[in-house]
Amino acid sequence: MRRRNFLSAAGAAVATTVAGCSGIAGQTESDDERTLVVGTYSAFIDAPSTSPGAWLKEQFEAEFDARLVWQTPENGVNHYIERQAAGVDTETDVYVGLNVDDLVRIDQELEEGLFVAADDVDGSDGVKSSLAFDPESRAVPYDTGYVSLVYDSTRTTAPETFDGLLAEESAGDLIAQNPASSATGRAFLLHTVSRFGPDGYLDYWADLQANDVRVLGSWSDAYSAWSSGEAPMVVSYSTDQVYADRNDADLQKHQVRFLDDQGYANPEGMAVFADANEPDLAREFLSFMLRPEVQGEIAVRNVAFPATEDAQLPDDYARLAHEPPEPVTFTYDDLAGNVGTWVEDWERQFAEN
Amino acid sequence: MRARAVERAERHALPALAVTTVLVLLGIFYYPVATVFRESVVVDGRATLSVFWAVLSDPFYFGELGRVLNGTPPSAVLDSLLSGDPRLGVVGFTAYQAALSSVASVALGLPAAYLLSRYEFPGRRTLRSLTILPFVLPSIMVAVGFVATFGQNGTLNTVLGALGLGQVDLLFTLEAVVVAHAFYNAPLVARVTTAAWESVDASAVETARSLGASPRRAFRDVVAPQIYPAVVLGAVLTFVFTFGTFPIVLALGGFELATVEVFVYRLVRDLEYAEAAALALVELGVSLALLYAYLRYEARHTVSAEGIRPLPRRPLRPPSLSFRELAPRVGLALYAVVALAVFVAPIASMVSASLTGPNGPTLAHYEFLLERQVSGTSFQVQPWDAVRNSLLFAGAALAVALPMGVVVAVLTTRRYRGRKVLDAVAMAPLAVSGIVVGLGLLRGLVFGVEVGGTRVAVGGALAIVAAHAVAGYPFVVRTVAPGLAGLDRSLVESARALGASRARVLTDVELPLVWPAVVAGAAFAVAISIGEFSATVVLASGTSQFTMPVAIERFIGRRLGPATAMGVVLLVVTSASFLVIDRLGGETDAF
Repeated sequence: MRRRNFLSAAGAAVATTVAGCSGIAGQTESDDERTLVVGTYSAFIDAPSTSPGAWLKEQFEAEFDARLVWQTPENGVNHYIERQAAGVDTETDVYVGLNVDDLVRIDQELEEGLFVAADDVDGSDGVKSSLAFDPESRAVPYDTGYVSLVYDSTRTTAPETFDGLLAEESAGDLIAQNPASSATGRAFLLHTVSRFGPDGYLDYWADLQANDVRVLGSWSDAYSAWSSGEAPMVVSYSTDQVYADRNDADLQKHQVRFLDDQGYANPEGMAVFADANEPDLAREFLSFMLRPEVQGEIAVRNVAFPATEDAQLPDDYARLAHEPPEPVTFTYDDLAGNVGTWVEDWERQFAEN
Repeated sequence: MRARAVERAERHALPALAVTTVLVLLGIFYYPVATVFRESVVVDGRATLSVFWAVLSDPFYFGELGRVLNGTPPSAVLDSLLSGDPRLGVVGFTAYQAALSSVASVALGLPAAYLLSRYEFPGRRTLRSLTILPFVLPSIMVAVGFVATFGQNGTLNTVLGALGLGQVDLLFTLEAVVVAHAFYNAPLVARVTTAAWESVDASAVETARSLGASPRRAFRDVVAPQIYPAVVLGAVLTFVFTFGTFPIVLALGGFELATVEVFVYRLVRDLEYAEAAALALVELGVSLALLYAYLRYEARHTVSAEGIRPLPRRPLRPPSLSFRELAPRVGLALYAVVALAVFVAPIASMVSASLTGPNGPTLAHYEFLLERQVSGTSFQVQPWDAVRNSLLFAGAALAVALPMGVVVAVLTTRRYRGRKVLDAVAMAPLAVSGIVVGLGLLRGLVFGVEVGGTRVAVGGALAIVAAHAVAGYPFVVRTVAPGLAGLDRSLVESARALGASRARVLTDVELPLVWPAVVAGAAFAVAISIGEFSATVVLASGTSQFTMPVAIERFIGRRLGPATAMGVVLLVVTSASFLVIDRLGGETDAF
């Protein structure tokens, strides 16, 4: 069922060779106008506020004399896993927007690699080492977000610790999200696993549930309920004030709290497909994404933090975008084989009927 | 010569349509969905029921039944059954929630049907056209409207506070979910019941009255039996839809109230297809069993009709101040207050959210839509294109779903063994998890199949129209079939004896007699198409084929404005469409 023709053999070969050999030869077209197909999530190119997509396309096309085509499959990277499992070419060169559990899922599902290693592209040595999340160096980080609490300080003062959330005065004050349908919900759940350990996080959640935490579906469900004043605290991103400032909102109503001085880091990575038609151009695109000026632009337009040390950010960026004193995150090896169980056990406890 | 050709074409019209219908259903629905369901019974290339058994015997999913099956001593299970607090399991809880939603939808839908079919007042036809509106709203809009209406700082609490009645906290409870489900489905109950009520023949009532039956008696013995099937249909469809519900439950309830579909979603996301497919099959089994039971019931309760002369409507303004005239109208006035709170307030909240910014009233969100239209890039969703696509797809889907639905209705009203099973299977598009349909379409159509070394893939506008038609045609079947079954056979037979082809009898004799049902089915087919999301995003070959619900989803952000502004556009466009359908469909009084 999961047999592929020659590409699978080639892909497997690539995955096991030393990085640097540039993989399979795609169809080498004539060089009049090369096309680079990049898959990503829709908010990266089409958010109602700002998104980097259009700017990146314009800059890249102007410089590289190539066409850049964005693709946004509804189910994200799963779309490409499906394609490969069905034995269909991905017809895509790069994916932008990978996180750690995507990689875990890919490796669990597919026998041969979906992506090839790319740790030698120009500029990748500038990536903060704390953000590198792929032991096989396929995914190169291009930005990161931190998941934290966001609260309305005109209504409450958020507790400073995880344990503070269990106090009487915080009852019913927090809205979180379903770990399966929201990245912030997943990050918050993983943060509790990191804080209380795989053996302690369920007890913490039992107490949190007893203290009336709300776990809604998507991030937007939670954020819009919080905005309408259903609860004074919500699990969201530590860049919340950047948006608030843009929309002339009162910053007092958009305060960020890092519980126990920690924020859960969600680095996002990009990777080159094993069956890319334009592997060389794809690698040039990765380098392009890591340039200081492009890194700054991605951070501002995607409202996130750059992945490299030398990104050019506007002077007042740090005033509104808060970084946690202590970023925490799980590595690939921590998550592999565990993350599914952690989420499932949490589900079974939280929704028991 | 030409007449002969036309005649031959007519004679083969129905069989040809039937074959086409079956092919479309197989290609766009049954085959793609089967590729997913196969995962639950074929694991690593071997047929097995182990995945199924694991799900069935899991108390988390099946509560006490799961405990029995997984080997818990029967005495322990009996104890907890008698304790008054048995474990429901996710499936049991989902069914419980769906049952409550059905009751609420009937309770809120019936008075509307009574008002629309029995009273005459200015704007009645417009109101009837618009009853179906809530049915098409994306869940995200409904969630926004409900938070703004029933939330802590919502409209309801503002009104109660002004009246000095204190505060209610309705959100994130089962009640909120049930009311939201009623918001979606009461219109469905109202619409099918109204169609049935308008099809009641006045002469039958007059006959009963002339034989000495009291008005109440005439209603109970003549009118009610013709309305029951429609009410039960509304209840059953509500159960089926809310049994497969997903986003609304998490947006207005919370994860404690997670339904089966929430877990199907998570399992599909984690690529655990075997368990996901097993759960989705359980959903399908429950829903189809219920639909099958309904079809048996419907078959026993078709009332034979010869023609329609609808009951005369009463004026809404009471002709006299007697108790008999006042009581029902006072009841309707009370209902109107409830309907304002449940249906009008959430929609009004969406409109007001689209006109509000952080610093008061603003048109900025509509400016955003214009700006997106003017300066958005090709890979971004354009509002106008979304409107145009929605209308085109809805029109085309209607053109496909109507003949499909009529053909299946004809096929399932013939008398042969097993036709009810066939009828239930034909209803499957209503009962299959949307997540599974999306995945099936991706594998079965978008990736294509190898045919002799070349890959045949289907996608784009035609596939979207077909998928929308498949999702909508069961409504046409369900509204048209009972009427067709109830028609006097002698009408058809005499027309056939006079030399008319079967197709001509259908279009010239039978359909005009069940016309209100055809129009109701058409309205549902359009509503389903306009509201459809999951198949559209999978099959669209690019942003240029996205529809209004997709645009709304794309415009969701930290501010509610852009998405709600697009939601208002959807409201306006949809309202206009339904008014047009009902005007073109005409009133039954015309006959």
